[in-house]
Amino acid sequence: MSLKDRLTRLVGEAPKPGEGKAYPRQDTIRELRARIDTIMNRRERILPSKTPEARRDALPLEHAVAGEEVQTQHGTFFMSRNIIDAGDFYGYSRVRDLACPSMPAAAFLTGHRPFVDMLITDGLFLDTETTGLSGGTGTFPFLIGLGWFENDSFVTCQLLSRDFSEEVAALRYLSELASGRQFLVTFNGKAYDINLLATRFILNRSHDRLAGMPHIDLLHPSRRIFAHRLENTRLSTIESQILGVRREGDVPGFEIPQRYFDWLRQRDGMFLKDVFEHNRMDIISMASLLKHLTDLVENTVEIENCHHGDLLKLAMFLHERGDAARSLPVFELLVASPHPDVAAGARRSLSIIYKKMRRWDDAVHLWQILADDQPHDIFAIEELAKFYEHQTRELEKALQLVRRLLDHAPHLSQAACISLEYRYQRLLKKLS
Amino acid sequence: MAHLSLSEWLARAESDRRFRENVTAIKRIDATDGLFAPYPQWVNPAIQKVLSGRGITKLYNHQVRAIELVHQGRDIVLVTPTASGKTLCYNIPVLQRIIEEPETRAIYLFPTKALANDQMAEVHGLIRELKANIKTYTYDGDTPDDARQAIRKQGNVVVTNPDMLHAGILPHHTKWQKLFSNLKYVVVDELHTYRGVFGSHVTNVFRRLKRICRFYGQDPVFICCSATVANPREHAENLLEKDVLLIDESGAPRSAKTFILYNPPVVNRELGIRQSALTPARNMMNDLIGNRIQTIAFTTSRLNVEVLTKYLKDMFRGRIPDDHYVTGYRGGYLPNLRRQIEKGLREKSIMGVVSTNALELGIDIGDLEVCIMVGYPGTIASTWQQAGRAGRRTGESLAVLIAKSNPMDQFIVENPDYFFTRSPEYCRVNPDNLLVLLHHIKSAAFELPFEEGEKFGKEDLMELLAYLEEKGVLHRVDQRWHWAAENYPADEVSLRTISTENVVVVDTTETGDHKVIAEVDWESAFTTLHDGAIYMMESQQYHVDHLDLERKKAYVKKVDVDHYTDAMNYTNVKVIDDFDKKIKNDIIIEHGEVQVTRKVVGYKKIKFYTSENVGYGDVDLPQRDMHTTSYWFTLPWDLLNSLQLTRLDIIDGLAGLTYCLHHISAMLLMADIRDVDWCIGDKSGEWYVRPGNNRRVITTSPTKPVAVMENAYDPTIFIFDAYPGGIGFSENLFDRHDELINAVRSVIASCPCEHGCPMCVGPLLEVGPSARSSALQILDMMIGP
Repeated sequence: MSLKDRLTRLVGEAPKPGEGKAYPRQDTIRELRARIDTIMNRRERILPSKTPEARRDALPLEHAVAGEEVQTQHGTFFMSRNIIDAGDFYGYSRVRDLACPSMPAAAFLTGHRPFVDMLITDGLFLDTETTGLSGGTGTFPFLIGLGWFENDSFVTCQLLSRDFSEEVAALRYLSELASGRQFLVTFNGKAYDINLLATRFILNRSHDRLAGMPHIDLLHPSRRIFAHRLENTRLSTIESQILGVRREGDVPGFEIPQRYFDWLRQRDGMFLKDVFEHNRMDIISMASLLKHLTDLVENTVEIENCHHGDLLKLAMFLHERGDAARSLPVFELLVASPHPDVAAGARRSLSIIYKKMRRWDDAVHLWQILADDQPHDIFAIEELAKFYEHQTRELEKALQLVRRLLDHAPHLSQAACISLEYRYQRLLKKLS
Repeated sequence: MAHLSLSEWLARAESDRRFRENVTAIKRIDATDGLFAPYPQWVNPAIQKVLSGRGITKLYNHQVRAIELVHQGRDIVLVTPTASGKTLCYNIPVLQRIIEEPETRAIYLFPTKALANDQMAEVHGLIRELKANIKTYTYDGDTPDDARQAIRKQGNVVVTNPDMLHAGILPHHTKWQKLFSNLKYVVVDELHTYRGVFGSHVTNVFRRLKRICRFYGQDPVFICCSATVANPREHAENLLEKDVLLIDESGAPRSAKTFILYNPPVVNRELGIRQSALTPARNMMNDLIGNRIQTIAFTTSRLNVEVLTKYLKDMFRGRIPDDHYVTGYRGGYLPNLRRQIEKGLREKSIMGVVSTNALELGIDIGDLEVCIMVGYPGTIASTWQQAGRAGRRTGESLAVLIAKSNPMDQFIVENPDYFFTRSPEYCRVNPDNLLVLLHHIKSAAFELPFEEGEKFGKEDLMELLAYLEEKGVLHRVDQRWHWAAENYPADEVSLRTISTENVVVVDTTETGDHKVIAEVDWESAFTTLHDGAIYMMESQQYHVDHLDLERKKAYVKKVDVDHYTDAMNYTNVKVIDDFDKKIKNDIIIEHGEVQVTRKVVGYKKIKFYTSENVGYGDVDLPQRDMHTTSYWFTLPWDLLNSLQLTRLDIIDGLAGLTYCLHHISAMLLMADIRDVDWCIGDKSGEWYVRPGNNRRVITTSPTKPVAVMENAYDPTIFIFDAYPGGIGFSENLFDRHDELINAVRSVIASCPCEHGCPMCVGPLLEVGPSARSSALQILDMMIGP
């Protein structure tokens, strides 16, 4: 019996041999088969309404996507190149305005000093579309989307492997493009795209030029600054909630792998049309997001036009990076914010900065305001107590404040309780 | 009161008539001296110095042979007893090479995490004393994410398990580029545990490992260690699919050991009931520990660990202050507690421990004096390994095997020669089981595209790739097959079974606070979690309200009832293809491929202690079908009719014979009793025998209870592999048919019961009063004069 027959019999697909009458299909056989099928085809089924119907006449790729075949010494692949003119609008901004993000600001966002001296035109924006999200060597980045600024306009260049065999050529081309650039800009590229490409370079035994390139990964600062008001920090969410861009008829990310598998089987360009568009939008969004983030850092946005919560998170982020020169003025602006939470947060952070600078009057002023607003603000009252104990030696005053917290503050954590109790006992001892 | 030493205790026990009556064999194994050899010239002086500092000024001769061969780049399998210093056999050459070439990488594979941790401590100790810059890490499911990157890049020695290699390392080999580009050694410890289904998977993991190594231009040396099995070299070669040299002569000294086989007394001859094996175990342990003789007991189930521990704690309560003087040990205890117990044993603050086979493998617990095995561990190899837990270096030690009431245990204690003189079991793998192979071909394709003409396993790879291409998971272009699906195939198969589905048990006793209390594998769910079943866990009974197969959940509620349930299964086997055939005394013996249909049709309620049937219930679950391999033999009616037995007696006799055959087959195969299953029927699947409400009935379908058995169909007894596609047991049983039948006859003939009991043909109430004598007549006829 052939291997294939044995297999199909094992998974219950063929009628069993030697059966005269139709044998009732066994539940378990059906189940086993279903199980094997789910194992083998465990991919998100696309809703039929959203899928371009399998067409009798497949649309050639060149007709669905503006682009052409590129021939190299390593083989061919398909490339689509587009230019967005300086005057075109993207969301709230014109493209020409996106072209001048502050590189010093980028250096602050990434904590990577050398960006200060780089030019935005030397940056390569990168985003891949892949055959799965699980990672690992079997995930194939079939579409490599790239973008860069050129004379105030934005160029996108998308490299498609029309089959696995075209990957080498596409990767080599990517290497060539990258070698003319100074740095990368991605969204989650550090954890995903660049790793995945590194794997593909190894599998194709090619040198990986991307490894070690300076890299602005927009995910991390975006998460720090915007996560407080978003349900998630996916690029599409940031795009619609922060950048004010609405996509029409966008293909959802989870459908993309199946689109590519369908393309492989049917060679119908319609399957990939939306994928190209989705990828292109992602790249442009990254450019827009970079500009928005650097503007926030540079403080060039009018405070009235800014979300105060974002500014607070930004100032805290900058403060952590040790950049008091930039964070201080933002905090000072925000203490006057009409949003009570933002103002309180700014006061707390600012008071700590003042304390470090030994600007005691300013610090005490802020603690006082905090304590007036919230009579059991543990942070402010404890700081005041410390101040009276160590700076002015007004031990009685300090003692009273600690007592006030111990007696009246609701929801004291155990750790806070212990520390307050300890302070209280020490004050008592000093007094006696 | 003065404490007895172990020799005094033994002398006293042996002179005790009541103890002696139950002993079926006492074997003394003399002490032997060690055979030593100097360190080979090439061994780095720093390594020699560290080892000398630990008192190892010279090596055992087997260690020298091992490290010399590894040094020459040969693949080896080392089979030597516990405490013969096998870890040095791989640590010396590996550390040596790393000192010479700091980029060198090695993978250490252990079957369990606990063992991996134990080994880590050992290697770390050596490295610390060497003061060398050698980095060793464990990489398993517990490794924190932030540590993983460092391990991938810097770890000289990566200690892990096959499951992690399969699902965590190979599918991400590019992240491990540094490891694979410099991989010189792969250490495979406890090789004998990789057998059956697990071994078949692991063979394929090695195929993938070697494939990835080739990609990075490496061909690492494999250093394997195994407990004593019959075919270590063959097994290593089957697993690694390359030539392997065997080192099986130990130069390590051995202490004197007394080995006792103990069969608890018969307490009810009529029903053939023996005293529970736990009773003598409890008494012996109580006495030994009372004499400050450190003792370990092994039981065959987690439940028995708890029961025996409780008995002992009760006995010692009040007599000693420390509650941990005697303790249990099993999987499921938290790692910290386990480490504490291991330490307590080494420091002798714990004098008694009751364990499952979790402690059987090489975890360091020091030298105990006595090992008591409550029930035959299932294989000769395991028995010796457990016995080896006592007296690793001490002067005198004792091992006692207490038999339980089943044919396997009874055969072992009643046939001491079999146990003491015979080589232990064979390890088998069937890596080319199509379902197993297919899973790994998918995983391999995910790791690297397959190329035209490549080989993977013994089946026609190109045909399998074409099949997967047709299924849409692979895509072929330019003579290469690429993974073309979204998923991560390694996640879809567990190495320890073929099927990956589980049923979770949900406790719904508290409304609004449903808890998952257990997971049961798919096959067992049908017999233990059907509607109306009583599911037992940690001595608590639960009533199964509903088994939802679609959602893979069983909803249960706590109950307190005086009975448990036993599912009534019917099994029907039909021959599809016979691979080989032989005839002996007119009995036709064959093996081949079969279709097995199983269905749970109902259950019995059985009262605790009395084992009375107190009711029945119906079960409506779908039947399960599988293709597997089987061994079978057919007894022609002409022959059976010559025995002057009634038709019913013959059926009972065949059933009794099969009960015993099933157990003995598992024993010979070194397999779990659930790895093989049985059926009595005919080759066409027209009729078969199943237990009815009172006696066995012959039937043609699960709905028709009784049918006429036609003379045209000769009864056939099947013993089949209980896994889809088979796991390679059947051919082995076919080859060993005579040995098997003789062993079955010996068990049934030597049983002290009158009409049949669980130790020979099965419980009397189930098999009928004539089963034992009929089975013996049939066996005599089969064996011939």
